[in-house]
Amino acid sequence: MSRPFRYVGRSLERVEDPQLLRGRCRYLDDVRLPGMMHVAFVRSVYGHARLLRVDADATQDLPGVALVVTGADLGDAPELVTGSSRPEAGQWSRPLLARDRVRYVGEPLAAVVASSRYTAEDACELVEVDYDPLPAVVDAERALEPESVLLHEQHGSNDFAHIAFESGDVEGAFDSAAHVFTKRFHFGRTHAAPLEGRGGIADWSDELVVWSSTQMPFLVRSMLAGLYGLPETRVRVLVPTVGGGFGLKVHLYVEEAVLPFLSRLAGAPVKWAEDRYEHLAASGHSKEVICELELATAEEGRFLAMRGRLVGDGGAHQGHPWTSLIDPLCAAAMLPGIYDLDAVRYEVHAAATNKCPTTAYRGVGWTSGHAVREALIDDAARELGIDPLELRLRNCLPDGEPVVSATGCRYDGGSYAASIRRARELVGYDELRERQRRLREEGRYLGVGFSPFVEQGGWAAEIAADQGFAGSGYLDAVSVAVEPDGSVTLATGLQSNGQGHETTLAQLAADGLGVRPGNVRVVQGDTATTAYSTGSWGSRTAIVAGGAVLRATDDLRQKLLRIAAHELEASEADLQIEDGVISVSGSPDRALSVADVAAAAYSGRAPSDVDPALTATRSYDPPATYSNACIACVVEVDVETGCVGVERLVAVEDCGRVINPLLVDGQVSGAVAQGVGAVLYEGLPYADGGQFLAGSLGEFLYPTAPELPDVEVEHLETPSPVTEGGFKGMGEGGLIGAPAAVVNAVADALAPFGVRIDRTPLRPCDVLALIDAARAPAAS
Amino acid sequence: MKPPRFEYSAAGSVEEAVQILAGAGDEAKVLAGGQSLVPLLNMRLARPTLLVDVNRVPGLDRIEVDGAVTVGALVRQADALSSSALSAPAPLFREALRHVGHVTTRSRGTVGGSIAHADPAAELPAALLALDGAVTATSSRGERTIPACGLFLGPFTTSLEPDELLTALTVPRGAGRPFAFAELTRREGDFALAGVCLLLDPARIVLFGVAGMPVRAVEAEEGLEAGLPAAEVAELATRELEPISDVHADGAYRRRVTAVLVRRAIEQAAARRG
Amino acid sequence: MPVRVLLDGRERSGQAEPRLLLSDFLRHELGSTAVHVACEQGGCGACAVLLDGRLTLSCLVLAVQADGGAIDTADGMTTNGELHPIQQAFRAKHGLQCGFCTPGMLLAARTLLDTNPQPTDEEIREHLSGNVCRCTGYTGIVAAVREAARLVAEERR
Repeated sequence: MSRPFRYVGRSLERVEDPQLLRGRCRYLDDVRLPGMMHVAFVRSVYGHARLLRVDADATQDLPGVALVVTGADLGDAPELVTGSSRPEAGQWSRPLLARDRVRYVGEPLAAVVASSRYTAEDACELVEVDYDPLPAVVDAERALEPESVLLHEQHGSNDFAHIAFESGDVEGAFDSAAHVFTKRFHFGRTHAAPLEGRGGIADWSDELVVWSSTQMPFLVRSMLAGLYGLPETRVRVLVPTVGGGFGLKVHLYVEEAVLPFLSRLAGAPVKWAEDRYEHLAASGHSKEVICELELATAEEGRFLAMRGRLVGDGGAHQGHPWTSLIDPLCAAAMLPGIYDLDAVRYEVHAAATNKCPTTAYRGVGWTSGHAVREALIDDAARELGIDPLELRLRNCLPDGEPVVSATGCRYDGGSYAASIRRARELVGYDELRERQRRLREEGRYLGVGFSPFVEQGGWAAEIAADQGFAGSGYLDAVSVAVEPDGSVTLATGLQSNGQGHETTLAQLAADGLGVRPGNVRVVQGDTATTAYSTGSWGSRTAIVAGGAVLRATDDLRQKLLRIAAHELEASEADLQIEDGVISVSGSPDRALSVADVAAAAYSGRAPSDVDPALTATRSYDPPATYSNACIACVVEVDVETGCVGVERLVAVEDCGRVINPLLVDGQVSGAVAQGVGAVLYEGLPYADGGQFLAGSLGEFLYPTAPELPDVEVEHLETPSPVTEGGFKGMGEGGLIGAPAAVVNAVADALAPFGVRIDRTPLRPCDVLALIDAARAPAAS
Repeated sequence: MKPPRFEYSAAGSVEEAVQILAGAGDEAKVLAGGQSLVPLLNMRLARPTLLVDVNRVPGLDRIEVDGAVTVGALVRQADALSSSALSAPAPLFREALRHVGHVTTRSRGTVGGSIAHADPAAELPAALLALDGAVTATSSRGERTIPACGLFLGPFTTSLEPDELLTALTVPRGAGRPFAFAELTRREGDFALAGVCLLLDPARIVLFGVAGMPVRAVEAEEGLEAGLPAAEVAELATRELEPISDVHADGAYRRRVTAVLVRRAIEQAAARRG
Repeated sequence: MPVRVLLDGRERSGQAEPRLLLSDFLRHELGSTAVHVACEQGGCGACAVLLDGRLTLSCLVLAVQADGGAIDTADGMTTNGELHPIQQAFRAKHGLQCGFCTPGMLLAARTLLDTNPQPTDEEIREHLSGNVCRCTGYTGIVAAVREAARLVAEERR
């Protein structure tokens, strides 16, 4: 549907900013309710153990402690049951508090409700826990071995799902291939680590009111209602300002799910705001996939087929509700990337290990699979003696036209080759190679890595099916109302956690209706007053809102025009709405404001064939759409210390029609920074016994400003031919693509040593170890 | 992460502080800048029964330069850094200060606090040792001077008695003496994975982050004085090190990288001299 | 113990046991929403305030230590509803997304420009090394501080 956009496409300043800049917004821990009490959890110190005894008696004498609930106290309380639309997957359940067994360090096994967080923590220390340690498994491949300790005996295996897929003549391609390149790559465990941790408040007296720092208020409502057997009309979820989510907050966690129970027992609202240790150890980890990938090519490097085995490290329980498949299965579904392949086969496992459960993090497993494939392509290029960009350009799918990938993903047209070429230009590729050559003579090692990728947007039924999750359906609706004075309210269950929806959705509605964005108020974060939505994640808001807002405003526009036509005694077809004024085309003096028309509607002067209620609620279930980008990274590696300095980060981004370019640039910069963090700084190691080794910010290292250069962003625009408005979504792209660019840059810098990179993260000691390994003769 | 309960006393003078410490046994901790201690309290890794807050003790926040450079224990790291008093007489100490923490911690963190906390990966203890400095420790029993070489006993352990308050540190004036400072961190402002404080005329090589406390590489110093090539000096400095392994780096890496830092520091210092 | 402070220029007071952190005192006793807690170990800068004019991590100060002190937050940078030039610059250059690091980041930027009115990009990044942002990747923040330097210099003329 084509229309002239006036505000969409402009870098308007955000309406959210003044309050945020003054520190006047309320985040979860700023919410205070009368009589509210505070929750802290007693958490497992073992990675795997039987719980023999949990005794809270010693807390009774501590003033300020209201109650302590253990797993045993939960009795018949319902468990969280997580399944998947995949027939191969099981249904795994977990109790809200561990009862007989703990399966990861940090697993909550008792909850304390007290007058303050300080007192609650004091009480936690008084709870006596007797553990009988069990062997722990912290390696996903070992967890799949038949002799491995089982985390959940009732399932008979640690594998949540074993999924296989094949398309095309894979065997034939590999048999006839001139070259087969292989790579084994362990993509390391990452953490979304939003600066604001998780938190919730439950107030269950008459009805259940919940505050949640969530990206999906309605799903939280539906899940809690289901868990507690309440009608959804008796559950209300409120969302304050959210301090970052990146996918971590698109889940229902046991800590949140148990809060209503605690509130009921305590007879008071209860709040839990996690601290940094809980966040790092026990919220959600992501993206850890062990991948074995093979690429079959023809003599001159044309890609023929790929074969992949991907084992996801899912942690001890299924992240609710998305399961641990989101890492390995998504990685597998996007193995072809932007490339033209005849055939592909993959095998996916999702292993349970004695680690924190895995959850979604910006780009899920696409990051991991993409990094492996792009690193393999660079390896292949070096072996074939072909320039890595040239090799890619030879194998790209054509620009512009919709095409279905070898795994069945319905790309709706992109700028794959164009983005590579533009990135090449921006980075000054030829000069860079010349500079690299000169520096090598001085014993300095510069490297450049490229990462062209395609990214899904608007996760809903079609994308889910493309990605291997057929049978999943989603409802996303937006309500728009014109108030008596002509101002506009847009109410949505989509939820901003930093992306500026109050600004971007207003831009959409403004163009949809013909008013100014300043006249549109976006309301979010309250399930009692907004339309149902699955939430904001998976790069979906722009697309989903794009469709729903444009449809709802279309409905309203029709009404406004019909009423105006009646008032102006003109024909609807001759009327236009612009910046809040409805006028007869060519006769600007024959005009009414939207406020005038609204007043007419609200005071009974609408024509009889128009329902004067100026509201519209419309939904949008988008078709599959895919944006694309190419990220380039330039690094210098100090080969005596292994330290990697990032010199340049460039992103050429094509996300179709852009609502607000300034905000898109911000999303790209943030996501690319996370990608650098995932490769060079952040790590979540576990010891063999399951001890978690990164429980503070001294171990888990956020990249800070000195570690990064400016992220340079340029835009191409290939509007989607299939979505409303041509929007494609893009929030995850930087993190899907950047790790591959960084890995490839390091490998390129160290190419003279013959280094092959097989894992992330790459600490300086890992880089040195890779150089050593490449120099040493192969050990038997 | 909230601290456990403790008693709290704010001392108004050095006398008051040492009297409180004298009566408190070894369960009291001095609270100065708090940038090292309060995180430990918040994580409940430190559980003192009494905190003695010395922030309001007057007279400990001066830098004096006469025969030596005397820095009061309560001088904030930021103030020591921005003061011109250190640039000429103690440039190595000033250079080390640049690497201590961040802007956000240096306004409150104290010079004395960093020394007394004795983190094996901290910069200031190493600089003090390299400069043949000393500290002044005061207690109800009087005042004594502890040379740096006798101060640092092990990780987070000094020879300060539980009832002693570190009140000042002194370094000899060293204008013109060639120096170098090198450390390897994962990010700017982090604790060092390995570090070197180096001086020439005479040679002093102090390594930090690679042992339980800052260590003088005496053999390497002799080699440097004897004119051995930098790479050999570096090898002498590190061959007996047994650094710990942690999530950031293994011990072998730390030892190896220390040699690189020593070599680079020698080159840097030589350039300053020439 | 009673603790009395000037918070953004207003006299405020509350109760604090010795272990109560200044960050919690400001947030829960005095109701400030311009102090954010994200790590309580000095590792992220989200809780930064100005304490007697100096950039200070409020999670590493005990409330009782701040008795009699003056605390300034990002809220105090706005006068009569008008954003400070630094705040304006952050808005203009999209130097914030979720806003959680923002109050601390603004104060860090302010202390930089107070002592170094024309910082280089490297100096900006180094000065902000103790303030973690997860959303922006710092590009917008550095652009904001550059712009803020320009606006502040203009205002001074």
